[in-house]
Amino acid sequence: MKSFELYEPTTVQEAVGILTKFGNRAKVLAGGSDLVAGVMKDWVEGEGMPLPDALVDLTTIPQLRGIRISPQGATIGALTTLTEIIESKDLKERFPLLTQATHSIASPLIRNYATLGGNLNQRPRCWFLRGREFNCYKKGGDSCFSVTGDNRYHAIIGGELCYIVHPSDTATALLALDARAKLAGPAGERTVPFDNYFISPREDVLRENILKPDEILLEVFIPAPSPGTRQAWTKLKNREVYEFAVVSVAVAFTTENDTWKDGRIVLGGVAPVPYRAAVVENQLKGKNIKNSIKQAAGVIRTVARPMSMNAYKVELTQNLLERTILEALA
Amino acid sequence: MLKVDVLRVVQDPEYADSLTEAHWHALAADPAWDELVGEFAELVAPVLARYGTKLGIPPPRPAIPSTPAQENPEEFRVLGKRVPRLHGLGVVTHLGQYTQNIRMPGMLYTRTLRSSVPHARIKRVDTKKAEEVRGVVAVLHRGNLPEEYRGVKLGSGPPERFLFNEEVFEVGAPIAVVAAESEHIADEAIQRIEVEYEVLLPTLDMMEGVRPSTPKQWDNKENGTIVAVTPPLLRGDPAAAQADVTIEAVLTKSTEQHLALELTNSLMYWDQDRLVVYYTTQHAHGCRAGLSQALKIPANRVRVIQTGYMGSGYGYRSGADLAEVHTAILARITGRPVRTTYTREEDFVTRTHRPEFRNEMKLGVNRDGTLSFGEFRVYANVGAQRAGAANGSWFIMQDLYRIPNLKLEAIDVFTNSYKSGPYRCVSHPNGTFAMELMMEKAASAIGMDPVEFRLRNINEEGNPDTKKPFSNPGIRECITACADRIAWKEKWHPPKTKEVRPGVFHGIGFAAHACSHGAGTNPATGQLIINTDGSVQCVSGSTEIGGGQRTQMLMIAAEALGVPLSSVSIAPYVDTDNTTDTGSTSGSRQTNTGGRGMYEAALDARRQILNHAAQKFVEDAQRKNEPFQVSPDQLDLRDGEIIVKAEPGRKLRLEAVMQSVGLPILGRAIYKQDSDWERTAWAAHAAEVEVDTATGSVRVTRYVAAHDVGRAINPFALEQQIEGGIIMALGAVFTEEMLIDQGTGLPLNPNMLDYRPLSIQDVPEQIDIILVERPKAYGVFGAHGIGEPPMAPPAPAVAAAVYNAVGVWMESMPLTREKLLAALKNVR
Repeated sequence: MKSFELYEPTTVQEAVGILTKFGNRAKVLAGGSDLVAGVMKDWVEGEGMPLPDALVDLTTIPQLRGIRISPQGATIGALTTLTEIIESKDLKERFPLLTQATHSIASPLIRNYATLGGNLNQRPRCWFLRGREFNCYKKGGDSCFSVTGDNRYHAIIGGELCYIVHPSDTATALLALDARAKLAGPAGERTVPFDNYFISPREDVLRENILKPDEILLEVFIPAPSPGTRQAWTKLKNREVYEFAVVSVAVAFTTENDTWKDGRIVLGGVAPVPYRAAVVENQLKGKNIKNSIKQAAGVIRTVARPMSMNAYKVELTQNLLERTILEALA
Repeated sequence: MLKVDVLRVVQDPEYADSLTEAHWHALAADPAWDELVGEFAELVAPVLARYGTKLGIPPPRPAIPSTPAQENPEEFRVLGKRVPRLHGLGVVTHLGQYTQNIRMPGMLYTRTLRSSVPHARIKRVDTKKAEEVRGVVAVLHRGNLPEEYRGVKLGSGPPERFLFNEEVFEVGAPIAVVAAESEHIADEAIQRIEVEYEVLLPTLDMMEGVRPSTPKQWDNKENGTIVAVTPPLLRGDPAAAQADVTIEAVLTKSTEQHLALELTNSLMYWDQDRLVVYYTTQHAHGCRAGLSQALKIPANRVRVIQTGYMGSGYGYRSGADLAEVHTAILARITGRPVRTTYTREEDFVTRTHRPEFRNEMKLGVNRDGTLSFGEFRVYANVGAQRAGAANGSWFIMQDLYRIPNLKLEAIDVFTNSYKSGPYRCVSHPNGTFAMELMMEKAASAIGMDPVEFRLRNINEEGNPDTKKPFSNPGIRECITACADRIAWKEKWHPPKTKEVRPGVFHGIGFAAHACSHGAGTNPATGQLIINTDGSVQCVSGSTEIGGGQRTQMLMIAAEALGVPLSSVSIAPYVDTDNTTDTGSTSGSRQTNTGGRGMYEAALDARRQILNHAAQKFVEDAQRKNEPFQVSPDQLDLRDGEIIVKAEPGRKLRLEAVMQSVGLPILGRAIYKQDSDWERTAWAAHAAEVEVDTATGSVRVTRYVAAHDVGRAINPFALEQQIEGGIIMALGAVFTEEMLIDQGTGLPLNPNMLDYRPLSIQDVPEQIDIILVERPKAYGVFGAHGIGEPPMAPPAPAVAAAVYNAVGVWMESMPLTREKLLAALKNVR
């Protein structure tokens, strides 16, 4: 591992100050399960992805950790651990989708350390990105090795230039729950809905979200769902623990006499960002769900552009969409 | 000492023919040869048959009727008890001394810079910037390797494997090694080493290596990068044989890695002119021999200690690899203790693997359920080295069923990719996958119950070609017991007829198994010390690698000697300074190798005790003026007491005898195995699965495994071995395979996350184990080894169950979600 300086600020202002000083040569540290034990340990670097000279430990800032519930919704500090989210009865009652999604991540050991902020902002798992010798677009190189290489786990929707899939299960769930993020930077705080939080490779291939090098994710706010909102989560894994989604589906919607009133369908494991399947939502709007689900789920094929080895994911997505929405209805 | 290229002996008949008597003697004494005999029985069989006498192997005696061993299980005091692992507490509490945790004052740490291209010539290595890093003590590379080590190479050639090759043949080949004050400094320093490669064309694909047009990478008599073509085995006339139905299929298996939990690691220092080595090894004496040869010093100047606590081995830790030689040299140059711990990626990439296989199979079957002919050609991708693996798949094809006309072919192919080697067996799982899937297809083609079909065809006599008999084979009992336990007759149904939930289908599958592992090899040695207080110490060079080997040594010694288990001890560690070589803990052989040595040593000690006891009985009687005579053969030693058989009331405690002797007794044995039997492990497995056609998920709901273990020495350990083997094998059935990028030759998934070994939550909820005890004439108390056999049947059993569930044949392992979904699409 490359040597680095470690900073332990106690306030957000102090942390932002250090980040501003270092520019893109500093990274914030939360649980460290990916940044330290993954990226830094394995020397995953390139011109566009320099290894940090400094780490800014956010776990020393108490205000970033904790869950607050109000009639308007829930606020979760970015440094709250995944275990704390799973164990929160309040969250489980209001947002079972988030609880389930969080529970499907990694293993108890990791969840005890890993944080919500870290999970949302972790780097993708693409094995070309993670392989030191592959100098791909994301590292500042000039090719994507997945195009001609083994792309069985890569994107089937929205890939362009780079075909990563977004790795975060909490991101998929939070987007379905219409959550928003609060960030802090040198100019103060700003709030961004998750609809606009993640960015595609076309916008900037070097990063996966709008966070600037000197910005910190402070907390996440999830609005209280309308009464009767149905939620469901499915994550297809190739083994039961320590596994990212092959495909995942998060749904949160309201119904009226078995017809789709309003809601969101978000897919994980299929696109460089958590993918809102608006095409499917539109097909269901105002319709009897049971009668139209088969046809609606099939519409995902119209937006999917599978690569040489991952057409199976299109079929999986269609099947899981149908299964998850019916499960939410049941 | 003469050096013989052990692999060339079996792969190059001309070379074997050219060897002198002295060469054969040297070969017989080489642990590398012993390793080959233990792990690759099929590979060495022709050489043993032809040159056995030169190797000091007694010729087989004419077929002896298959008789069970003599012991009466009713009288066992120790055997058959469920004895917990000696090392158990150390393992689960971390109190055990693992090599990885050993530290020494002043210790240095190494890191190795490795090739990032699969085939290249190293033009230049510049280590200047690395040497400037504070805390770097030494950098070793081809340019500064001490003269005496320049010609040193490991393994077999061509192509040669020097300590640092100029021409590298694989990603991960060592280029330079840094020794530094901390692991972190060494890791930073290797980043600063500059290497200039002249990139050469690699061969990454096995079948590309077979083509005549593929560039040769060494002076090769064969096409492309073919390492060896085994002379085919021919029985009857398969080309002319007729059959009602001929089944043809190409069945493949992908490359697998062991994923031993403890990373390969060592700590070495020089004590004047002696090298002291702590190392994660399955064969301390083999490692000693390897280092002694590489460093050109006598074996008695290398001391290897295996601590007895080791995060497994599974076959890839028998000898010493390049990094161990580098470490020894760095310890010598720096005069300090040097620790080398492989990174997980290095353990994944630079060590050995179970190779990729391709089986081109043709099986002729008649409608009455008899087999007519088989033509089976096996290719193995042995990776970037000279090795052999293909004909290891032959055993089951040759021995398990009666096939009157048979042709077996085997081709080993070099590629610039993952090197092959033992992995809880090497090739038998491939042979069993290929043979058993063919049997399933054949049964299906003639509309016969696959269990019935197998029972009709099993061979219970012996090897049909060499005519060596099986000893008390339990295959019929394994098959029927396994089928009964899973309720085969009630549960087996036509394919795709049992939908348990919408889109989810139930299936049941079966597989039988026969292989050569578990047999036992030479050298089989052991020592037993009876102290003057009557306590007993076992001394064995058999390394514990997590299977409970040394607990078993203890049980064998206690039973054979006739003392309670509690009065016998064995140190967890193996130290080559005070043990004799008793083979590697590989090839499932320690029951009948180290165990055999211990058994014979116990009998030797027992003879001595009974001699002394007879004397004491007589002397004691004389003192009392009692007329009494007794000879040793009229005595028995049981439960720590010496009894006069004819007069059971007359007895002596062992300690009383020992006190009167006043000196310790040393029992010892150097045993030579007979070559009379086709020593065979037998098994049958059955699996029930649920296949979700919407997701391609396969869940194993129930699993039954029946194994003929000869004699259950420790049923507890046996069950653990079988259960563990099944779970490990299921990883290779569903997820595990080493992948490379075809464009660059770089590894894609050399980490636990992307390689995906199964988790405890993926394990079938119910695994039933049936121990079939059919004692073997050659076995210690009739036992046959168990470590590897459970690895083979899960692949064909699950593939058969998937066929039964959804009606598609999964012909390529691993049976991944994407392959299953694609196959399902084709049948819809």
